[in-house]
Amino acid sequence: MMSIARMIGEKRRYWRYKARVKRLPPEYRTVVEAIEHYLLYAGMIANGEIMGVMLEDLADLFEQSAADGIPVRDIVGDDPVEFADTFLKNYADGQWIDRERKRLTDAIDRAASAQSRPQPQPQLQDGDGHP
Amino acid sequence: MGKQMTEMLKGTLEGIVLAILSAQPAYGYEITAWLREQGFTDIAEGTIYALLVRVEQRGFVDVEKVPSEKGPPRKVYSLNARGREYLEEFWTTWSFLATRLEQLHEGSR
Repeated sequence: MMSIARMIGEKRRYWRYKARVKRLPPEYRTVVEAIEHYLLYAGMIANGEIMGVMLEDLADLFEQSAADGIPVRDIVGDDPVEFADTFLKNYADGQWIDRERKRLTDAIDRAASAQSRPQPQPQLQDGDGHP
Repeated sequence: MGKQMTEMLKGTLEGIVLAILSAQPAYGYEITAWLREQGFTDIAEGTIYALLVRVEQRGFVDVEKVPSEKGPPRKVYSLNARGREYLEEFWTTWSFLATRLEQLHEGSR
């Protein structure tokens, strides 16, 4: 269970991020907010620490790009979803679905290693069905 | 650049970025600008940034924050020993792939 202190810590971190976004020029802010919205829905990040890092990385990108005068179109490219998905991949181990990815991998590993062990030879049976 | 180029670049862009960094340390914008000059005109700044985050997470680059005249400090990336090792591996894989594809190409002509 999450402690109250950690919850408050994460909230504070989120507000700090929000304050950074608010200081961006209007178009950059709009774009960051739209990407954040997509990341929260598509990402389903369950780990608060990873979520914090992700949003801070996002803010870094847009602060730097705004300072360099890079137009928003050049930041996200022609396919913003493609960009957002690429960006999101870096935080995949914080996703809710990550637990299921591990579960799937482990299940296959177990089945595969059971199969690669030498199998007991099936006993030859005689006509009446008794070994 | 078309959709096909985007798809093909997906698997190789990380190696390309490391190769650029093996020549000299750079920050994100410099890498994108260089790629644009080389004809990769559709590459998004954000895509390169996401890759830089990735290679940093994987421990292939060292990052130094350098103060800049305008805006926040810039993150300057340089390839480290682990990154160099990974880049070697990338070129080996690339050579294998390029040779096999060229053989396919020759065969289909």
